[in-house]
Amino acid sequence: MNPRLPTPMLPERWPNLAPAALRIRAARPPAPGWLRKIGWRTALGALLLGGILHLGATLTVPLLGPGLAYQKLRELLPANTMVVVAPAQPGKQLLPFLLPDAYYGICRYSLAGDAVSISAPLLDLGWTLSLHTPHGDNFYVIPGQQLRTTDLSLVIVPGAEKSGDLMPATRRAPTPSEDQIASPSEEGLIIIRAPLKGLAWKGEAEAALSRAKCTPGVKS
Amino acid sequence: MPRFGKLIVNLAAIAVLGIGGGLGSAWYMVEAGSRLSTRSFGPWTTWLAAGRPDADPYTRAHTARNALLPITSTLELTLYAKTDGEGAQLQSACDYAVTVEGLEGAWWNLAAFDRRGGLIPNGADRYAFSSDSAMREPDGRAVIVVARDARPGNWLPVGAGKITLVLTVQDAVRAAAAHTGGSIKGMPTIRKIGCR
Repeated sequence: MNPRLPTPMLPERWPNLAPAALRIRAARPPAPGWLRKIGWRTALGALLLGGILHLGATLTVPLLGPGLAYQKLRELLPANTMVVVAPAQPGKQLLPFLLPDAYYGICRYSLAGDAVSISAPLLDLGWTLSLHTPHGDNFYVIPGQQLRTTDLSLVIVPGAEKSGDLMPATRRAPTPSEDQIASPSEEGLIIIRAPLKGLAWKGEAEAALSRAKCTPGVKS
Repeated sequence: MPRFGKLIVNLAAIAVLGIGGGLGSAWYMVEAGSRLSTRSFGPWTTWLAAGRPDADPYTRAHTARNALLPITSTLELTLYAKTDGEGAQLQSACDYAVTVEGLEGAWWNLAAFDRRGGLIPNGADRYAFSSDSAMREPDGRAVIVVARDARPGNWLPVGAGKITLVLTVQDAVRAAAAHTGGSIKGMPTIRKIGCR
């Protein structure tokens, strides 16, 4: 039989030490008095209200009216006229974050009277012709091709008139060479972006954009 | 009296949590975006549905509020960087090297703006470089140095304050990759060279 091993004497302070978990629990500060006054119904109501305001604020921004971009351009641009805008300078930007090293041809179209015809050249890669609603939706875009000039001819018609059946009898139908684009809104923007490769290309870009047209009525 | 105090506390809680939290979170989601509406590639962030007629409400609100006219993100990606590759804020007190490598076949443009989208005045009158205008290294890379003082090569000058770099990439293949959750080949790196 093995001799009984002596039990080591524990120091006096050991029994006073609480387990670690207990110590942490004891150290946690009690919730402040005002927090204990908030009922669960209040918390739930606040969350619901927050959710409703969150969704309401997000959804109403685009519904309050046209986007800020269109609001700014509507004041500056006459309807159904192509305006060529030189590369932006500090303090003279049409819109924030627009490419600074590009010419822009911008036409604010209105389909109130008639369809709108567009003719525009796209000289190179990076050139684009894009159509936007007042809310900023880009419902049509065509990019330029590398080292190849594309001469575009388009007709913008109201969305409901895309079908030939709905076209008023007084209006001439577009020719087969003209692409017909249905606009989801009665007004909008036609934007031709002409990036500059360098200063030497300024004249070429200006000349090309001066050929761009945006006219009410379908060309006959 | 204690009941009145409890009522006040409850009303305050509704105001702070409900109004503050609801409007504050809406503002954040519309201005900064979240994983629901944006996608990040290193320091670059893009609004996935920008310009699209079927865009989500956050993207539509972001476009409307910030006076943007984006080209549909199915053709062209617009990527914004407010930090360098290490996550530090881009600021004009520091110089940065933006290395564009691997965007072959795509048309791209890199421009520097202030945080509100305004151009930063500079004596050189230079605000952007593109795949057409940037000089290339012998190995095909384009290294653009964003700095306040003149630098050799592709120098993109910036003034005082914080900077936002905007990269526009026109390439339907890369745009499709961004939408399907794939990686985009050749996203530029932003490396801090040094600060004053």
